[in-house]
Amino acid sequence: MIARFVLLAWVLVCLLAAFLWAPLVPTLGETTRVLYFHIPSAWVAVLALGWSMLHSLLYLRRRDVEHDHQAAAAAEIGLLFCVGATVSGSLWAKAMWGSYWNWDPRETSIFFLLLIYGAYLALRSAIEQEERRARLSAIYSAAAFVAVPFLMFVVPRIYFTLHPDPIINPRGKLDMDPRIREVFFAMLAGFTALFYWVLSLRVRIARLERRFIES
Amino acid sequence: MVLGVSLLVWGLLFFYLLRLERRIADLEKR
Amino acid sequence: MPSGGSNSLAAVWAILHKECRSEWRTRYGLNAALLFAVTSLTGVSFAVGRLTDRSDVLSGLLWIVLLFASLASLSHAFVREVEGHTMMLLRLVASPTAIALGKMLFNLVFLAVLELVTVPLFLLLMGAPPPRWDAFLALLAAGSLALGASATLVGALIAQTRGRGALFAGVSLPLLLPVLAAAVSGTRAQWAGGAVTSELRLLVAYAVATLAASLLLYDHLWED
Repeated sequence: MIARFVLLAWVLVCLLAAFLWAPLVPTLGETTRVLYFHIPSAWVAVLALGWSMLHSLLYLRRRDVEHDHQAAAAAEIGLLFCVGATVSGSLWAKAMWGSYWNWDPRETSIFFLLLIYGAYLALRSAIEQEERRARLSAIYSAAAFVAVPFLMFVVPRIYFTLHPDPIINPRGKLDMDPRIREVFFAMLAGFTALFYWVLSLRVRIARLERRFIES
Repeated sequence: MVLGVSLLVWGLLFFYLLRLERRIADLEKR
Repeated sequence: MPSGGSNSLAAVWAILHKECRSEWRTRYGLNAALLFAVTSLTGVSFAVGRLTDRSDVLSGLLWIVLLFASLASLSHAFVREVEGHTMMLLRLVASPTAIALGKMLFNLVFLAVLELVTVPLFLLLMGAPPPRWDAFLALLAAGSLALGASATLVGALIAQTRGRGALFAGVSLPLLLPVLAAAVSGTRAQWAGGAVTSELRLLVAYAVATLAASLLLYDHLWED
């Protein structure tokens, strides 16, 4: 319980610091602050989808339904954070580029990612037997993760994109203001903790549902 | 303004999750 | 790990041979796909007319026609076994990986035949400017490889669910969208006279990655 309130306070402090303490990037202006939500969301999305892939492989190896709960929950949450990254990115695009959506390679690739994991949920909902659902969706999730590095890391490198890349720029070094960097990494940690919490809740719900169906 | 909204959203989300967790714990005991 | 049956190249080859023969006997899948491709081609050609000077639109239309024609039939290889109740029999003689690989090779042959008919017809009907053949054929081959690899994997999963037909298109399309995007932009560059190496590399890498993942996962396609 204490950990929850530490998280509450942590993110509150991060928010206050993001708005009141950290400076703005000159080229981005006021929109600098979306950085503290957008990139952690995208990071958590990749983390969650990787987590889903990992537990899918573990399920295939051990056939323990617990891994299926983890994989499904992580994919759902990954999709949720992916939506968060897309929406915040779209709002930012409105402010900077003048339109919410113009099929920049970054926008295209995250949209594909949304569809791929939407299909995962569609596949899950189409199968009724528990074992078969777990097995087939584990195969899908593990195979679908193949697309993630392509969409998130390869495509934006190949095609011309307007997306700024302050985190991992081609030279591979961080050239942010140290204050921005501190707040950013603190927010990243906060988002990761939030992911872990929501994941554990979702898994517990899945366990309850399963117990409820069995009884 | 934006700061206020984000603080509010975060607070609401937090307490929603907290309540959810309490209910889950409740159901798990049964 | 393979539960009975051989996992050798010979088994893969035998599956491919069997697939080709049973397809040739009825030509059900091929006829349906060709009919679909030609019909949609006619529809597109009729709706937009000849687009001699719009090679950017042409490359998009070409891949969309190919993608949908293949989606209409690529799950067939697995669904046929399930509907004919021959899956159990097949699994007795070969490992899951061999079955899936054989069916993937069959799907690739199928795609090649489909493209052999559709692509010339498309170029003709739409009044397309002559493509740069080396780049064009390389893109076609790499795109088909990626398409076949993902569609076979999804087809194998979908064959075990209810509502197979609708689900196959819905589930495999998202996985194929990156392929579509890369293939379209490559074909566009080819017509515009640009370089296609980055798209080719992307397509081949995607195909190889999907293939590698499939090889690891195919062992689990069926429960013991």
